[in-house]
Amino acid sequence: MTTLHRKLLRDARRQRAQFLAIAVTVFLGVTVYGATYDSFRNLEASYGETATEFRFANLFVAGGDPIGFAEEAAAIDGVESVELRSVGDAPFRLGDHKLLGRIVSVPAAGQPTVNQVKVLDGTYLDAAQPSGVLVEEHLADEFALTPGDALDVHDGDGWITVDVAGVVSSPEYIWPARTRQDLLTSPDDFGVIFASPETASRLLSIPPNEVVVYYSDGDVNAALTAELTTLARDSGAVETYTREEQASNAALEQDLQGFEEMSLFFPILFLAAASMAAYVMINRLVYAQRPQIGILLAEGYTRRQIRRHYLGYGVLPALAGAIPGVVAGAVLARLITGWYIGIISVPTKVIEFRPTTAIIGLLVGLFVALAASLAPARTASRMVPAEVMRGNTPTGRGRLSIPERLLPPLRRLPIRWRMAMRGVERSPRRTLYTILGIVLSLMLVLVSWGMIDTVRHIVDRQFFDIQREDARVYFTAPVDTDRVAALTEVPGVDRAEPSLEVPVSVTANGDQYGTSLIILEADTDMHAFYDGNTEFDLSDDGVVAGRALSGLLDIEVGDFVSLTAPDLGVSVAAPVVAFVDEPMGTLVYASRPAATAFAGGELAATSALVQFTADADRAEIRQQLSELPEVAAFRDAKALYDMLQDYMGLFYGFVGVMLVFGAAMAFALIFNAMSVNIAERKREVATLMAEGMDKGTISRLITSENLVVALIGIPPGLVVGYWMSSLAMGSFATDLFRFDLFMQWTTLVWSAVAMLAVALISQWPGLRAVRRLDIARIAKERSA
Amino acid sequence: MSIELELVAKTYGEGTTAVHALKETTVSIPNGQFAVILGPSGSGKTTLLNLIGSIDSPTAGTVRVGGVDVGALDAEAKTVFRRSSVGFVFQFFNLIPTLTALENVELAAELTANEASARAHRALEQVGLGDRLDHFPGQLSGGEQQRVAIARALSKQTPLLLCDEPTGELDFETGRLILDLLHRLNREEGKTILVVTHNAVIGDMADRVIRLHSGEVADDHLNRQPVAAGELNW
Repeated sequence: MTTLHRKLLRDARRQRAQFLAIAVTVFLGVTVYGATYDSFRNLEASYGETATEFRFANLFVAGGDPIGFAEEAAAIDGVESVELRSVGDAPFRLGDHKLLGRIVSVPAAGQPTVNQVKVLDGTYLDAAQPSGVLVEEHLADEFALTPGDALDVHDGDGWITVDVAGVVSSPEYIWPARTRQDLLTSPDDFGVIFASPETASRLLSIPPNEVVVYYSDGDVNAALTAELTTLARDSGAVETYTREEQASNAALEQDLQGFEEMSLFFPILFLAAASMAAYVMINRLVYAQRPQIGILLAEGYTRRQIRRHYLGYGVLPALAGAIPGVVAGAVLARLITGWYIGIISVPTKVIEFRPTTAIIGLLVGLFVALAASLAPARTASRMVPAEVMRGNTPTGRGRLSIPERLLPPLRRLPIRWRMAMRGVERSPRRTLYTILGIVLSLMLVLVSWGMIDTVRHIVDRQFFDIQREDARVYFTAPVDTDRVAALTEVPGVDRAEPSLEVPVSVTANGDQYGTSLIILEADTDMHAFYDGNTEFDLSDDGVVAGRALSGLLDIEVGDFVSLTAPDLGVSVAAPVVAFVDEPMGTLVYASRPAATAFAGGELAATSALVQFTADADRAEIRQQLSELPEVAAFRDAKALYDMLQDYMGLFYGFVGVMLVFGAAMAFALIFNAMSVNIAERKREVATLMAEGMDKGTISRLITSENLVVALIGIPPGLVVGYWMSSLAMGSFATDLFRFDLFMQWTTLVWSAVAMLAVALISQWPGLRAVRRLDIARIAKERSA
Repeated sequence: MSIELELVAKTYGEGTTAVHALKETTVSIPNGQFAVILGPSGSGKTTLLNLIGSIDSPTAGTVRVGGVDVGALDAEAKTVFRRSSVGFVFQFFNLIPTLTALENVELAAELTANEASARAHRALEQVGLGDRLDHFPGQLSGGEQQRVAIARALSKQTPLLLCDEPTGELDFETGRLILDLLHRLNREEGKTILVVTHNAVIGDMADRVIRLHSGEVADDHLNRQPVAAGELNW
């Protein structure tokens, strides 16, 4: 070890707090990068492997002439497998519990060639026992179903009992979404079973209605998708969607995208902060060590050696932070992926250590610190020995602060206030970096907090402002309005309105979008419609469309869209009378009179929306409604809301960690800047103390000066943080979810207060040093 | 303000690394005297000054300034004592670069009484910087900066002025001007002034010359015919 290396290590020991602050910030950046990026890669690989292993369909085609389409599709180059199947919804009953069910046909003789299932318990279907079914694991878990158990399925006429042959997971239902427009389902109100074609046909009373296509090697092939989509439309298909658009996969992709964005956004923030903290510290170090540098140069050390030596002041804390950061990132990635995959039950788990991520993390951590130390190191290497060895500390020109120049009356403020104002401009670059650090910290805090506010707002808006029903009751067969009204005879049910949900294909300008048409009473009390924040009613003159359709189909209010409802055998053109802003889903709404006009006759309700009385016993109402023979399923809006709140708990945990990291980053950065600030004026402070200024006054003087910098950084931090939050939330927006940023004003206030608190706390070590200042020694030092 | 040191010792560190900066030193300086403390580096002269100014505490012995045992005061009382009784002038001026000359002096003047601005003005006039009030330290020469530092010490109107190498950073001519200023303050205002220096020539203008060597008083004599600062030559 050379003497210069020893000097470096001893300097680091002397200024361990500042070095530690940089190392911690680098550590956080590299850790968050490793943890989130590898989690993203692991999840991506897990989904990818699952798709390959279970031959997850590349294309789904529903309706039209599926048999004809399947035959033609199988003959196209690039198509490896085609599977014809029946998919339909039917009510399930488990004991007293009724829920919405889905039946998907799979060959009894063996796994399908597309969309295979993983048998977790029991056996696959047995051709000799066609009544057996496979239960999807979410449903099995919720109701503790195991092979040998039974459940009832309503076939339209009555309840049919089927036996559970096995419990399976499926790439189609990793996230058990009912449809793309109904992504959030609770396992107690929606479940899936797989049955032989014969059983499915018996239960659903429909012929095969869907074709799933698997491409050679499962690769994405846009040209093939386009060709097949055209073919599907020609065969009259009402809905065509890719693997990426498939409900479960789309939901998972949304999460994946979140991980990917986090894996870039948060580390960039941390590493930028680390870079600034390192620059501030090393710059100060070089400034303080000018006489030493002069002597080293005078004694014959080359400028390159000096430059390398001071680059070491960046490399050392960077390595100290990056190496454990790489390890922590890898460990966390393993834990997060394992935990996450465990929660959502991905059939194939891929958890790998990725050396590339580790190397990139290490290199980026090093690069950041090197970049920060480059300018001070160059300054050090360019010093003129004779000049710096004299040791005169340049006092700086000194001048009135900008506010004083702009507003001369400010020059009459008490001197201590003027000192605080001018201190801001004393070291403009350091002030700028401190301000930038505060801006970065606020960005991190506001983006995290903005997510919480927005998601909470979205959930509340969806479940309280927009969906105003307490529950939805599904009927075994369509019913008239009188039967719906009769639901209010159940104690605790205050109101009931008929509703009809029809799968439709919306077409305009050559583009097609598969969604649901929701038919409600024109003056419904169960659902509110908003254009921005303005509430409006359904019109009898046309349909109301989810805002995303405007962009997806390039339509405006007044344009006509084609609505094809294969279940009703209807295809009509209807004008769009308004776009509705809803955070979840992109649906089409029509009033009952409007729908009657479209269909050319009265449409019976397939479900009812109900509201309870204020003091209702929800469990009792569920029980009583479920007991009604015409009721097929009951969906409690509150249960869904509560389930979301549970998921939010995990989300809050994650955001909470980010907030803690943000505070740590802010602390490290401000602490370093403040420490340097205090170190730089030790001699002034010592002189003031020698003159009799008490420590309290001096502390207030320094604190106010540093807080002015923090105060300057807060407004731009709030603005940039809000803007970044808006960008971050906007980047998650799809046709399935709209994330318009909602941030409470209290969030901004608390963030600002928290930043000031961090700025205050981060001064404590520096102020403690001031209180312990050796006045006699410092006041006499040439450069303190 | 009189100064009495009785068997004062100051040791830094412990055991084998202990440095005995002052060894049982006894010195008495009457009120209004202009004393110069001479000695080579490490002789203990700055330590002596710091003990008198109460910015350091003795390991043994008693330091009485104006009858007050400053060594026995707690930190808060020392602060109050320094505020009211002692003005410091350091070798490196130690001005605050972001404050003008006037503001640097006002900052100290505010510590002791009202009318800080008027007293700061007067102090700067006194040191001949009445026309440089709004200049920042960076816009002043070394001599001017030292005069601002003296004005800062004067503005508190303390009876004792402690100057540690006040000419150390200045050229010959400027150094003489500063010494002349200190001399006038002693003669005209009756302030007790202690100047620590390694420049033996400065001793010629003092009422009293104390020479330290290795932490002990090697010589202590009164100067029967002090010369004017303008007559000094080095």
